[in-house]
Amino acid sequence: MKDQILQTLHDLRAYALAKGVEATFLYHEEDSYLMRFANSAISLNTNEHLIRLDITAYKGRQRASYSLITALGNRKEMQQGVDIAAEMVEHAQPLSYDPTVPVYTESFSDESAFDPALAMLSNEARLAYFNQASAGLETDEVQLSGVFSCGWTIFAQINTRSEHTQYFKASDAQITIVLSHTGLKWEVIAEQSAQHQDDLKPDALHDDLAFLVDHYQHDTPQQLPLGTYDIVFGPAATAEMLGMMGYIGYSGGAMKRGFSFLNENQVGQCVFSPQFTLVDDPTRRETFPFQRDMMGIARHPYPIFTEGVFQGFIWSQDDADEFGAQPTGHTVPHRSIVMGGGNVTAGTLRELVAMPRENDILYIPYLHYMNIVNPSKGLVTASSRFGALLLKKDGSIVVPYNVRLTQSLLNVFGDKVAWLSQEQVAYNTSSSYGARNPRATIVPALIQVNGLEISHSNSSY
Amino acid sequence: MQKQLQEQIARLRAAGAHYVDARWYPVEETNDLMMWNGNLKEASASRESGVGVRVLYKGAWGFSAASDADQLGALFDKALDNARVAAERITFPIRLAEKDAIRATFESPNAINPFTVPLAEKLAFMQTMDAKLNQPGVFQRICTLTFMRKQIIFLDSEGSEIEKTITEVFPSIEVVGLDAQGEMHSRKFSPPRMGDTRGWETLDMEIFSANAERIVREMNEVLVAEPCPKDVRSVILLPGIMFLQTHETIGHALELDRILGYELAFAGGSFVRLSDFGTLRYGSEKLTARADATIPNTPGSFGFDDDGVPAQNRLLIDKGLLVGAITGRQMVEEANVRAGRRIFEGSGGANRATAFYRVPIERMTNINIDPGDDGTLDDIVRNTERGIVLDGDKSWSIGSNREQFHFATDIGWLVEDGQITHVVKNSTYQGETVPFYNSLSAVGDESTWEVQYTPNCGKGQPNQIMQLGHGVPVCRFDNVRIGE
Repeated sequence: MKDQILQTLHDLRAYALAKGVEATFLYHEEDSYLMRFANSAISLNTNEHLIRLDITAYKGRQRASYSLITALGNRKEMQQGVDIAAEMVEHAQPLSYDPTVPVYTESFSDESAFDPALAMLSNEARLAYFNQASAGLETDEVQLSGVFSCGWTIFAQINTRSEHTQYFKASDAQITIVLSHTGLKWEVIAEQSAQHQDDLKPDALHDDLAFLVDHYQHDTPQQLPLGTYDIVFGPAATAEMLGMMGYIGYSGGAMKRGFSFLNENQVGQCVFSPQFTLVDDPTRRETFPFQRDMMGIARHPYPIFTEGVFQGFIWSQDDADEFGAQPTGHTVPHRSIVMGGGNVTAGTLRELVAMPRENDILYIPYLHYMNIVNPSKGLVTASSRFGALLLKKDGSIVVPYNVRLTQSLLNVFGDKVAWLSQEQVAYNTSSSYGARNPRATIVPALIQVNGLEISHSNSSY
Repeated sequence: MQKQLQEQIARLRAAGAHYVDARWYPVEETNDLMMWNGNLKEASASRESGVGVRVLYKGAWGFSAASDADQLGALFDKALDNARVAAERITFPIRLAEKDAIRATFESPNAINPFTVPLAEKLAFMQTMDAKLNQPGVFQRICTLTFMRKQIIFLDSEGSEIEKTITEVFPSIEVVGLDAQGEMHSRKFSPPRMGDTRGWETLDMEIFSANAERIVREMNEVLVAEPCPKDVRSVILLPGIMFLQTHETIGHALELDRILGYELAFAGGSFVRLSDFGTLRYGSEKLTARADATIPNTPGSFGFDDDGVPAQNRLLIDKGLLVGAITGRQMVEEANVRAGRRIFEGSGGANRATAFYRVPIERMTNINIDPGDDGTLDDIVRNTERGIVLDGDKSWSIGSNREQFHFATDIGWLVEDGQITHVVKNSTYQGETVPFYNSLSAVGDESTWEVQYTPNCGKGQPNQIMQLGHGVPVCRFDNVRIGE
């Protein structure tokens, strides 16, 4: 299949050259499978096999693109796409800067993140995983929901500036299991990210779920008083906040457009806790990495914050072109963000519960529906969800109703950070909007932040 | 092609499928243009076609889709195979509400097909808008045009054959400025429903020019404004934020699949229970809400849903009382059985899919609030002692059961003793859904009612984006926390 894909791209390049069209081609193929559960049943079992082709035509400072969902053998339709992009670029208004057309100096192929066993996982295997992960935990009132999403993805590229190609192939799985009470409406979650079949560990999810269900069934629920709390965030919550930081923090383009809480004067300054280190690390296979960006720039670990000190903005090619910066290899479908771990050995909820504590600890594993209230201040808001616990200093545990946090990321990752787990976890942050693009963020399993205010507290589940 | 699809549908029925449908998209095309500070950052178009097949087998759904229509037999087989596996784990065998077999067509109204308008003309519009937005105080100016057109041919094993052609036009303009502290503030305009068609004619230069001037002026007022106080006041929501309040805390909360727990793993559930229908006082007597897919010309009016059910106008909340939900064929049957009573009479015609490669799920149509009898915006302000008028959807975050919310708006105007005093920046409000709607104390008349469009409502796994509408008046709610 790889040869056929690359030959198709070579043929399209030849077609464009013959027509005098300067163009880049991005081929995307996905084979996606999703088994969805609700009310303890499979509510949907679906698959899609889709091939997309994006064609961007350039004429000096003019740029236009055309994309289509097509079939690999449909050469004529693809060539028509070239013609349409070429026609569009004739009428496109020139940019105020020179857009860079990539030149690949060598061909590059990376299939290291592809595991055929995971890619070809059967319907039966997915169902068996779910049954194992939830075994014995369902009742008439406690019901199973979730998804088992898996598949494989190919990105392949060529352009008219060189005959070299880039080819990336990855397999992935994202599993979410929710147990919820039909009457009381509480819900707990366990999740797993897989790049390789060996990453699939249903027993680990079962263990997490069993622990949470036990507490939610037997501990007293409570509306928390408003005020400040020492909060331990789980991987999902931390990854969500880091995702927001990617939008309104260290992106050079966002900064130049006024959508960032960081500015150029802060490069080299300590803006976060000395315990906070963030790297874009394409060597971590769990992140489904791109070791070259779409412009052909080799990607290496790129420090963004080191012990709280801001190392510099990242620049995609187009932002770099527009604002006169150097591209940093960040013209990628997704980054490979890794937050460094700390020195606390506790890496699971059970270990957190067992830790001695001097104050009450609010454990928030998941933040629901985060949005940006004020990008200039890094201010975001979201609600807790899926298995929060209040660990009382006397050793008892209370199940809190959901609470809302409205906090600046500068606060959350700033001086209020108390500790981080040594252990890091790959949290799958893929969404299934549009083309398949598996991604994950590596975060400390737990981080404790002291003195964060909750701005709303639910009076029931 | 229809004949081939009908043959495959018949073949699967003969193989034991209880129900089969196919949605064939001969063409779906889009055109996206974005001009940012005068730079044409995006000039893109797309085209796709394909087939999605849904099979009900032994009470379970299977779905499969492909862009390559040459392999129809394999595609239908895969959908049946997916259903067979799903049937191994069911707790409530799916049943579909009755419907008539329909042979019909629907075309969304547009006077000028935007796909016939030359790119140069579209860019000329954007350049004019960009120039109008390029005023003192404006740091960033953004103009976007999105055009969509899809042809959908729906066939099912019950004899329906429906062809729809849907055209959408979503233009917007936005300005961003920085205040003295370097904080960004923005103001934007997307036209509400303006007549009975929504083709290229939506881009009325006069209306856009007037609104370009308005949003620049209002943004500059925000740049020098005081911060919104932390307070408890009446909030007066203009349609530019009331539509989103309605969307998030009435629309999503009343999707029947959410109520039944089908979205728990991702989007969330709903605080509403089946026992609440006919009993829950959702809001004050001033609140009447409906799902109305019959309004001519909005993205929430589509002729027939993707179950093949005709568009309908159904009450959701009647003078404050919860009476209905947003429904499709599957969920109403399950809800009635689970409730042990007949809450819902047939499908509400709200099952839609975003593309051929996604399965239909319950989506909002036009989720509207009926106009009230509390007069104009001026009348409502005049009758407000301590309040704040809010507009513009800056940020929204809602609890997983839609039970509470936090919104930030682009602009606020404080009201004291029946008069607007001054503009404030960083305005926010938050509340709990049921107490909030029960504090609804004034609903504006027809003069305040606008149908706002939502081009990008996300829901489901795999995720789906849907287009819809909200007809809403100016509404006032009392004792609301603001400024947090």
